[in-house]
Amino acid sequence: MAGVTLNGLYKRYGSTSVLEGIDLDVEDGEYIVLVGPSGCGKSTLLRCIAGLEEITAGTLEIGGRRVNDLSPRARNVAMVFQSYALYPHMTVRRNMGFALEVARRPKAEIREAVEDVAAMLDLVPLLDRLPGQLSGGQRQRVAMGRAIVRRPDVFLFDEPLSNLDASLRHHMRVELKHLHRRLQTTVFHVTHDQVEALTLADRIVVLHQGVVQQVGTPRELFDRPANTFVGTFIGSPSMALLPAVGAGGTVRIDGLEGELELPGEGAMTLGLRPTDIEVGRGPLRGQIEVIESLGAEALLHLDLGPDRKLVAQVPEPCQAQPGEVVSLLPRVVHRFHAETGERLP
Amino acid sequence: MKARRALQALLLCGVVVACLLAPTWAHAADLTVWHAYRGAEEAALREAVDRFAEGRGHRVRLVSVSFGVYDSKLETAIPRGNGPDLFIAAQGNLGKWRRMGLLVPAGDVSGEHRDPAIEALTEGGELWGQPLAFKSLMLIYDPEVIDTPPRTTDELLALSAALTEDGRYGLVYEAGTPFYHAPWMHGFGGAAIDEMGEPTLDTRAQVDALTFAAELAALMPTAPSADRVSSLYTEGRAAMIIDGPWRVADLGRRVAAAPLPLVSPTGEPARPYLTVEAAFVAARGQDPEAAAELASFLSGVDGAQIRQEVGRQAVTASRVVPSDPILQVQLDQAARSEPLPTDPEVQSAWEGLARALRQVLRGTVLPDRAMAAAQQHATVLRRPPPPPANPWPYGIVLALLALAGLGALGYRLRDPDLRRRMLVHAPDYLWIAPAGLAMVVLVVVPFLTGAAVALFAHHQGEWSFVGLAHFIDILLARDWPITSPMSFGFTLVVTVLWTVSNVTLHVVIGVALAMLLREPWVGLRGVWRALLILPWAVPNYITALIWRSLFDAQVGAINAILGLLLLRGEALQIDWFSSFATGFAANLTTNTWLGFPFMMVVTLGALQSIPRDLEEAAEVDGAGAWQRFRHVTWPMLMPALLPAMILGSVWTFNMFNVIYLVSAGEPDGSTEILISEAYRWAFSRGNRYGYAAAYAVLIFLVLLFYSRLANRLAGRKVL
Amino acid sequence: MARSPSTLRVVLTHLALVVITLLALYPVLWVVRMALSPSQQFSSDPTLLSGRLTLQNFVDVIWTFDGGYWLFGAQLFNSLVVATATAGVGLVLATSAGYALSRWAFPGRDAGMSAFLVTQMFPGVVMAIPLYILLDTLGLLDSLLGLALVYATTAVPFSVWTLKGYFDTIPVALEEAALLDGASRWTTFTKVILPLARPALAVTGLFSFMTAWNEYILAATLLGDPRAYTLPVVLQSYVDDYGASWGHFAAGAILVSIPVVALFFALQRYFVEGLTSGAVKG
Repeated sequence: MAGVTLNGLYKRYGSTSVLEGIDLDVEDGEYIVLVGPSGCGKSTLLRCIAGLEEITAGTLEIGGRRVNDLSPRARNVAMVFQSYALYPHMTVRRNMGFALEVARRPKAEIREAVEDVAAMLDLVPLLDRLPGQLSGGQRQRVAMGRAIVRRPDVFLFDEPLSNLDASLRHHMRVELKHLHRRLQTTVFHVTHDQVEALTLADRIVVLHQGVVQQVGTPRELFDRPANTFVGTFIGSPSMALLPAVGAGGTVRIDGLEGELELPGEGAMTLGLRPTDIEVGRGPLRGQIEVIESLGAEALLHLDLGPDRKLVAQVPEPCQAQPGEVVSLLPRVVHRFHAETGERLP
Repeated sequence: MKARRALQALLLCGVVVACLLAPTWAHAADLTVWHAYRGAEEAALREAVDRFAEGRGHRVRLVSVSFGVYDSKLETAIPRGNGPDLFIAAQGNLGKWRRMGLLVPAGDVSGEHRDPAIEALTEGGELWGQPLAFKSLMLIYDPEVIDTPPRTTDELLALSAALTEDGRYGLVYEAGTPFYHAPWMHGFGGAAIDEMGEPTLDTRAQVDALTFAAELAALMPTAPSADRVSSLYTEGRAAMIIDGPWRVADLGRRVAAAPLPLVSPTGEPARPYLTVEAAFVAARGQDPEAAAELASFLSGVDGAQIRQEVGRQAVTASRVVPSDPILQVQLDQAARSEPLPTDPEVQSAWEGLARALRQVLRGTVLPDRAMAAAQQHATVLRRPPPPPANPWPYGIVLALLALAGLGALGYRLRDPDLRRRMLVHAPDYLWIAPAGLAMVVLVVVPFLTGAAVALFAHHQGEWSFVGLAHFIDILLARDWPITSPMSFGFTLVVTVLWTVSNVTLHVVIGVALAMLLREPWVGLRGVWRALLILPWAVPNYITALIWRSLFDAQVGAINAILGLLLLRGEALQIDWFSSFATGFAANLTTNTWLGFPFMMVVTLGALQSIPRDLEEAAEVDGAGAWQRFRHVTWPMLMPALLPAMILGSVWTFNMFNVIYLVSAGEPDGSTEILISEAYRWAFSRGNRYGYAAAYAVLIFLVLLFYSRLANRLAGRKVL
Repeated sequence: MARSPSTLRVVLTHLALVVITLLALYPVLWVVRMALSPSQQFSSDPTLLSGRLTLQNFVDVIWTFDGGYWLFGAQLFNSLVVATATAGVGLVLATSAGYALSRWAFPGRDAGMSAFLVTQMFPGVVMAIPLYILLDTLGLLDSLLGLALVYATTAVPFSVWTLKGYFDTIPVALEEAALLDGASRWTTFTKVILPLARPALAVTGLFSFMTAWNEYILAATLLGDPRAYTLPVVLQSYVDDYGASWGHFAAGAILVSIPVVALFFALQRYFVEGLTSGAVKG
């Protein structure tokens, strides 16, 4: 059990920089989710923590101990790979006990540890099978079990659910949450799926181009995105960004009629979430292009003017028709700096 | 459990190592004798040696050395002190051995011997071996058919013609081999070389002898092999054969023998070559005196008696009375024979003579033209090595190259990043070090040593530094026109043709079979696959020898099968090794048979990873079977096949066994490839090791260039 | 495949297979017949079933003695020891090298890869005599160990090539998992990689075994004693220039081939996989 501290962590391959000064302080037992688009460096960061990649500069501490130069095995971390990386020639039992076997623990102890974890994960009937004889979900659980058996200080999950189908993924998400509550071990979980991030994380770390964009609880990230990147990345369907100009307490979206009562002077970018738009009244007008029904809600794709699009989420049943022009009221508006994209106070 | 397994592993290792080392201490003997005898002769030698050992308390070890490597083994082992104390061999290489310092003079003559035993073993006024037995060709005939053997060649021709009719022959012998032609050559007054060692192949006598041989051959099956000759006799279809006493045991019928007839035009006897087998005391042996004693014993009356009784040898010791008529004939024949020349120069005459013989017997060239060409061939082969070169410039260039290499290495190592990476990866090098070290010590070093030999000329046991002269001679085709099969250029073209056609056939057949075998509806797929891999599993020298015999003009099954297939009712009489096209086809058939399973297995593996839905998609798109293969399957097979093809072509390029054992270069060396040609230069054309090494270096360079080219053409690094 | 092929196609395919297999087996069957026939001569009869059958040739070949010492047994034993040792040494050398070349980008790796291939291009003809001198210097002349080492090195390049190709297909994630499980490089190699590479190990092991089992020129040059000879040397001597005993040769050929053919059949399920999976990935 241990907290993890990253201090000015850099990772470079020759002249390409992948991580540019990551600072992060993780409490013991926290569930941290690293999100970002592909190529943002989140997997690299995970692999740096695991010790699979060498750290170019900065320090990494686990449990208050600098581990930069320690081998993976000395760091006492466990990892679940995207492909699960189960040893194909070993039974589930041996797969799960391999770390202990390598550490030359007594056979009885290995057996006990493996069976405990297997019971916890409903793997007991599968213990003597080979990975090739298991389904995707079972393999995922074995990979999980293999990590748990070792009782590591930190769990590292590299897109552990991405190879599962939608319903199984949902099921495993819940199970992960249970597990974490039981084990209370620090977790780093890499995903590109924001739903996973929002549902699992104690805190989310959003990475973009090797730089941390924001660290915070799911609520904080959703309610107060630090910049346009986080704003659009978190939340689905994503936030619409519209250029606007403010003057004397009102703000007007470029090229549109209608003013919003908001503070701020000069050019800025407005962020509007589909869930925050009320249809039927308000200063903005838009024509409905397409209506997507999701069952309980419907998404209205609206054309506000040239190059100005917006999505609004309304409850079903929805009476509106495509082609109809409706009035719109943004209940919450996020304001960002026009050039830097940083959130305006 | 673990400890026990470790112990077992250790024990196993120990046993294996002990076994590996065992033969080095298996024997302790005072005297080692090498020989190449088999069967009765070996038994006789053993008995004689035992008799000797009993009397003196010596322990003698008899070592039977493979005939094929006997000579080269003597030459390498004796100078390094690993040779025998005594070895038994014919006198043919005496001159060379003496010059190489392999022999100790034999001392006094052991008793009385028949002529020309002593003469044949005497050089420079000294006796070099104790004579044991005579061997030469003689006339062997079927006493049931012939009462009185022919006394002259005219009688021979007449008798042979009279007895030759529907599948029966009067006389059959291995006419295409110089050794079997020699009696006529000498009888007509010719000789392979004169006293100065100059070839004398284009003389009147030579042409006459060849003309006469052609007359005999007209009454024989084409170019009969030794196997064919003896089987014809066994089947009762040949009344007379010319062969040595060593063949008698194989014939399986009653035989009678007579000396070869007189040559009618000259009145001289047809004199075959005579080999005098002798016991030679090797230089650097442990106990030369004991060896000499043993040699004397074997040669003397007691030893000779055993050898005659048990081994049925025609012994040279004149006080031993021949025990049967055939031995008597052999001794009579020995008296009218020509001792095999001990001058190594005679070797240079053989190849040209052999080619001339075969050309004339096939009827493609007239005797005088053929012998002129043979003379030319022998003259070139006999040419003294290139003049010694000054080694200094080469040494300096070599030193400069080495310095430049070190400099380049040092320059690269100045890069701090490289140094750092090497340091980081230092443990990785340990992983390849064992293999790398083994390769360097056991492959690279021997090859470089071998290649360095290319700068030296080896002539009759002596080395001289000649620099790049061999390369210049070879590349500029100085000795032969570029269109001659002896030239490097010609052989290179044949080799490339050989490689390309082989690899093409391997791939076509291999891929086709794999495509058939992957269909799920083919029954017994595992069985087909197992059977089709079989040609790969059988050692290739075995199959090469079998194919050679299958292609035999008369005994071969191929001709018989073709006869059946073409409904001729009898076997065809194609002499496969009489033209380039058929000889090449025979080689190609053999090697295709050997090589297709590898490609088939590679393709099967590659096909497994090609999803069938791609082909199905193409089928839905309306592609026919060929189009599907051409545009979908084939491109996806390429990544797997390309390395296999490159590796396969390197193997084929150097496929020595097939060429050497199947066509042996026939006709006229035209089907030779570079590696077999190199072998001939090293071992059958006067041991020109330097010249052969230059060939080897050139082969290596060609292949190196090829692999670079292949990578370039493939657009990526394939291998 | 959902659709079943036309009957004509099935019949033609099987017919083609039968014909090709017969062609492939003909020379082999020929050897069998020759071995069983009493004559030592080469028969010209193309049919395979004819004449009297006898096992005498096998008896002659097996029952060879050198002063009370069972030569054939010794030679068979030598062949087995050399071939097994060659396979063992070859595998030890090639697996570690192939693994390193597959996994780690150390400076000089590509050059190393090429160097292994280049050694395949050395024409063996010129090497026998230098090898003789070398082994003599190392004191390994006349020993099966020396011979096994020489054979192993000729087999190593192909083995390295095959094994490297196969290792390339084993996902790196497995090694990373093992690393995190606390396994050292060596443990990972022996407990994770090697068990997975079994097909490729089988193929390369067999290839090395065959190299040693079938070679005769070097064996005849480097071994000095009939008791130390390997079987191919003996076999070759049945048809040398002193006259050919085809019956003995054929019987010997069958005896020599049996172990290799048996190994081929035993290991053939690994063949398709082991030889090429690597290559497919390029």
